[in-house]
Amino acid sequence: MPIKKKGTGLTAVADAWQLADIDVSASYPIRPYTAIMAELAKRIANGQMKCEMVHGEGEHAQFSIAHGASMAGARATTGTSGVGVTYAFELYSPIAGARCPIQALVGDRTLDPPGDFGSEHTDCLTLRDNGWIYGWAQDAQESLDNSLMMFRIGEDPEIMLPQIVAMDGYFVTHINQEYEMPDQEQVDKFLPPFKPQFRLDVNHPVIMGPQIEPEMGPPLEWDRNVVMQRVSEKIVTVTKEFNEIFGRNYAPFVEEYETEDADMVFLLQGAHAVTCRSAIDYLRKAGYKVGMCRLRWVRPFPDQALKEILPKFKVVGVIDTNTSYGAAGGGGVLLVETRASVSEVANKPMIQGFTSGLGGETITHEQFFKMAEMMKMTLEAGKIIQDSTWVNFNDYHEGATEVKYANQQVAYAKE
Amino acid sequence: MSKAYKQVPFAAIVPSPKTENEGMVTGNWRYLRPVVDKSLCTKCKTCWIFCPDACVNYSKDDGISFNLKYCKGCGLCSNVCPVGAISRQPELDFEE
Ligand code: SF4
Ligand code: SF4
Repeated sequence: MPIKKKGTGLTAVADAWQLADIDVSASYPIRPYTAIMAELAKRIANGQMKCEMVHGEGEHAQFSIAHGASMAGARATTGTSGVGVTYAFELYSPIAGARCPIQALVGDRTLDPPGDFGSEHTDCLTLRDNGWIYGWAQDAQESLDNSLMMFRIGEDPEIMLPQIVAMDGYFVTHINQEYEMPDQEQVDKFLPPFKPQFRLDVNHPVIMGPQIEPEMGPPLEWDRNVVMQRVSEKIVTVTKEFNEIFGRNYAPFVEEYETEDADMVFLLQGAHAVTCRSAIDYLRKAGYKVGMCRLRWVRPFPDQALKEILPKFKVVGVIDTNTSYGAAGGGGVLLVETRASVSEVANKPMIQGFTSGLGGETITHEQFFKMAEMMKMTLEAGKIIQDSTWVNFNDYHEGATEVKYANQQVAYAKE
Repeated sequence: MSKAYKQVPFAAIVPSPKTENEGMVTGNWRYLRPVVDKSLCTKCKTCWIFCPDACVNYSKDDGISFNLKYCKGCGLCSNVCPVGAISRQPELDFEE
């Protein structure tokens, strides 16, 4: 029987790893990742879990250990945060290129300087071009569920790619929430043991990651490209099967909230969706036809899903909880990719960029109200008046009074 | 004419060769190759130990020679030779 538990996103992933019966986990402390390492160590020490835990001398070593373990046929995990993600950078491409489906947990955190511990998605999004499957969980339950789904997708013999279970540091990694821990029988039904076709074995020696000739490089890159596209199909089938076995109701790519009759939607990922939903409830009462689209995955980017969903709306406010200084359109990664997704679609909506929630700031109701008002002004004007707004920093240059008006309207609706 | 790409096995995983791997020879990009001056060589085998690609062969009668199929031209052997017996010479100076 599944049990209800109180825990954080990190204990939820520790539960997933315990249920997935991982063989090796490589660790190195960095907040907010550290707590899962402590949790695993405790479970291993008290006999709850049978797993070899190896401490690296840094994140580069940590990912190397997981890489080696995976090559030897182990279901291997690791994880990190912030500058730890970037310190391990050299390993991401070799791990994906060697088709080692290790799983890493990233409790997202701002990159330095000067050591801002706040939640932000910039760390993880810097490695989006390396062939890892990843997406953001909005809460502890989804952290656990995504972890199991990703093992299943990444270890599929047709895929064999590494995965990152990304979640907002602190908001998801550290806040206690209620979630359901599935039972072993359900997990065994969903996730078969890891049996790679190739592994390092002294009796059948192979070379993994050899030096190759220039003529061999492009076909390998092509393979990786093709398989990344195939991941999207797997996400659909695996999500469906997951929902059936565990009784959840996940959309494969994009969760829609109050979108039925919406003119405008917020598009975002991760934990701020929780605040977004309640802000929408107030905005709806105040007469705003607004909804939310939450991305569950970023690699592969849910291109096709967005092409189908977004033309239903007139204005899409993309909220980037990351920075990509100097990116096209002046926003973050999500804005650039969303625009690219729908650039050739008929009736494409106006896509307006917002940057908010950096450095661990919460995106408040008031900020959602302000963004909704700006989207409404875009809708009425039929054009984007001001793009790439850093909410709370650059004031909307036209109609500041209207923005205030939205706040008052909604405050009224709240009472 | 389309370029001849070489199809590679899954993730470039290949059986481990016992001696040489014909599929993994150095391309045409080496621009300096090692050449040994046998009159200087003391047969100390330092170069043989250091070559990262195991391209230095040693025999009692012949002394050392290089397997140029796999030599990357990195120059480690010439750097470590205690008597300066190995020089690095431009590839284009050789016919083959
Ligand atoms: S140049 Fe480098 S690869 Fe070639 S024989 Fe010398 S050490 Fe080996
Ligand atoms: S290191 Fe120099 S002296 Fe020693 S075996 Fe090689 S070429 Fe000869």
